[in-house]
Amino acid sequence: MVEGVRWEIRFHGRGGQGAVTASLLLAEAAFRCGYYSQSIPFFGAERRGAPVLAFTRISEEEILERSQIYSPDCVIVLDPVLPGTVNIFSGLKNGGIAVINTTDAPEKFRFHQNVLTICTVDAVDIAIRNHLVVSGTPVVNIPLLGAFLRIFSRIPPEITEDVIRERFRRNWKANVRAMWEGYENAVIRKVKGSGKTMSQESKCSIAVRVPVSKPVKGVAGRTSIWRDFVPEIDYSRCTGCLNCWLHCPESAVLRDGREVRIDYDFCKGCLVCSSVCPKTAISVAREVMG
Amino acid sequence: MERKLITGNQAAALAARDSGVEVVAAYPITPSTPVVEEIARMVESGEMDARLILVESEHSAMAACIGASASGSRVFTATSSHGLAYMHELLHYAANARTPVVMAVANRAIGPGWNIWADLGDTMSQRDTGWIQFYCSSNQEIYDTVVMAYRVAEDRQVLLPAMVCYDGFVLSHTAMPVVTGIGEFLEEYRAPWKVDFDEPETFGNILSSDYYMELRKDVFESHRKAIRIIKKTEEAFESLTGRYSPLLLEKYMLDDAETAIVAIGAIASESKIAVRKLRRDGKKVGLLRIKCFRPFPSTDVVEALESVDTAVVIDRSISPGHEGQLFSEIKSALYSSRNRPEIIGKVAGLGGRDVTFRAIEKAVCGEFRDGWINEVVV
Repeated sequence: MVEGVRWEIRFHGRGGQGAVTASLLLAEAAFRCGYYSQSIPFFGAERRGAPVLAFTRISEEEILERSQIYSPDCVIVLDPVLPGTVNIFSGLKNGGIAVINTTDAPEKFRFHQNVLTICTVDAVDIAIRNHLVVSGTPVVNIPLLGAFLRIFSRIPPEITEDVIRERFRRNWKANVRAMWEGYENAVIRKVKGSGKTMSQESKCSIAVRVPVSKPVKGVAGRTSIWRDFVPEIDYSRCTGCLNCWLHCPESAVLRDGREVRIDYDFCKGCLVCSSVCPKTAISVAREVMG
Repeated sequence: MERKLITGNQAAALAARDSGVEVVAAYPITPSTPVVEEIARMVESGEMDARLILVESEHSAMAACIGASASGSRVFTATSSHGLAYMHELLHYAANARTPVVMAVANRAIGPGWNIWADLGDTMSQRDTGWIQFYCSSNQEIYDTVVMAYRVAEDRQVLLPAMVCYDGFVLSHTAMPVVTGIGEFLEEYRAPWKVDFDEPETFGNILSSDYYMELRKDVFESHRKAIRIIKKTEEAFESLTGRYSPLLLEKYMLDDAETAIVAIGAIASESKIAVRKLRRDGKKVGLLRIKCFRPFPSTDVVEALESVDTAVVIDRSISPGHEGQLFSEIKSALYSSRNRPEIIGKVAGLGGRDVTFRAIEKAVCGEFRDGWINEVVV
């Protein structure tokens, strides 16, 4: 349990999952319990599917910080894919809490802290069962908030329930249900880590100083994880008109003469290529993350 | 009075409503868009009794604001970055035409490289348009400053438009507790002169060299007089609402300080933590926060900094070919002082790069010697 006068919580998610909303709801609930709170969204690439961060500070005193949170007491991870691509445990205090949306057991996670309290919940399942799916994305924020409240006893879940009811006027019943299911289904274990401090990951160096770019692995990593749908070229119909190459907003369609291919490491699945192809040679399939 | 958890943009919109704004003309741009969205929602629901004019560009937004203000209405708008740059021509117009428009600006970098995050470069490059400029460091201040800005801007001795600036995302999208409610602080706006269809007059007419210089001198003098009006407004606001909200500048633990951090905007709030930490280590450090950048409170700056040995000025913007704008202004203000401290300039947080109190501590301890705080110190 986190003690003291100040708690700092970092949310990891992807655009559309509700990380920013969860951060705000938690700050609002804390505010109603008499704390001074702050909710900071951090929009990376401002696109659906891109990794996003949000932060909540809860304090007994006025909060003067305007910067982000680097040594959180707790991380809340909304995306089951993120643990493999983003270092969700970065800077998390030794003995801190990680609330993770996963079907895995708490013991499966590896980290450099000596010990963490890992709280797991299958938030995707709860979201789907409560019909909390928007544009094909299960909105997992509320069940995770429920799981967090199970460990964080300073905020009574009933207060959070009120906040959710006011926020989701039309759909509050499903959300309140999802919160309680998250609260009740949370699996909480103390897990030992390696205890070895990892060297700080260096930020990507800027290779060119002119604002011109080609897709490379930058701070966002391989941006293919933003993709929900994947375009595929049928070469028997492709005439080499280069329309897809011309229109791709990410320069992820590569060309060799008149032959095109898709760079799947950086294609974000916007499907512009498919819609501009005059020969309907680019089909669309659901992405399967492997 | 009501206390709620809201973003900086919501605070700006609610302040416009509570100030009795009658006309809003705006064009959306990140990160100030939610200000206009919130106003649209309030106008639609009847919470706010104003006319919202949606236009096709920021240039037109400011033109409509000038027209509405010239016809005697209390006017508000909001923008950021490229939108503000696009308004540039009309910003001069609003000041010279003496239309006391108040504008919220969620500060954002100007591209390329394309960047939507906090950077004061957008408003700093409008420094010489004749607008009053306030820079906020909390959401409470955004609310209070919009309200107070009307009192200053509409004062018969001032009659100038005012920008209420706040770091994009860092304040515009961050939720914090804010007390709203202004009681009877603002009276109805009574324009000293207004466009009247029954008695046509020429507005913004040609002015030869016989008169133009006097007009510019008037604008200059009004800025000078505004300093006193700003101080009076700050006092009146405190006595009426019970909230102390610095409008000109703020001194924090500066009385016995040997080193002063001089900062502006959100970084100034983060600097307070650095001051506390350094004090705990026995270092006599204080903070001078510049709230009002135009008019620049030179006399008060000199008074505040004359007794320190060193002043470390932190800019969140830069004038290429020279230095940070705040750094230049602080040096210029202290030029005539016999006891001027050593003045060091640092540039931090461009394009939304995070500025932590640890980085500020390091800058004060002299570890960032070349003037650039590039590193996010965790």
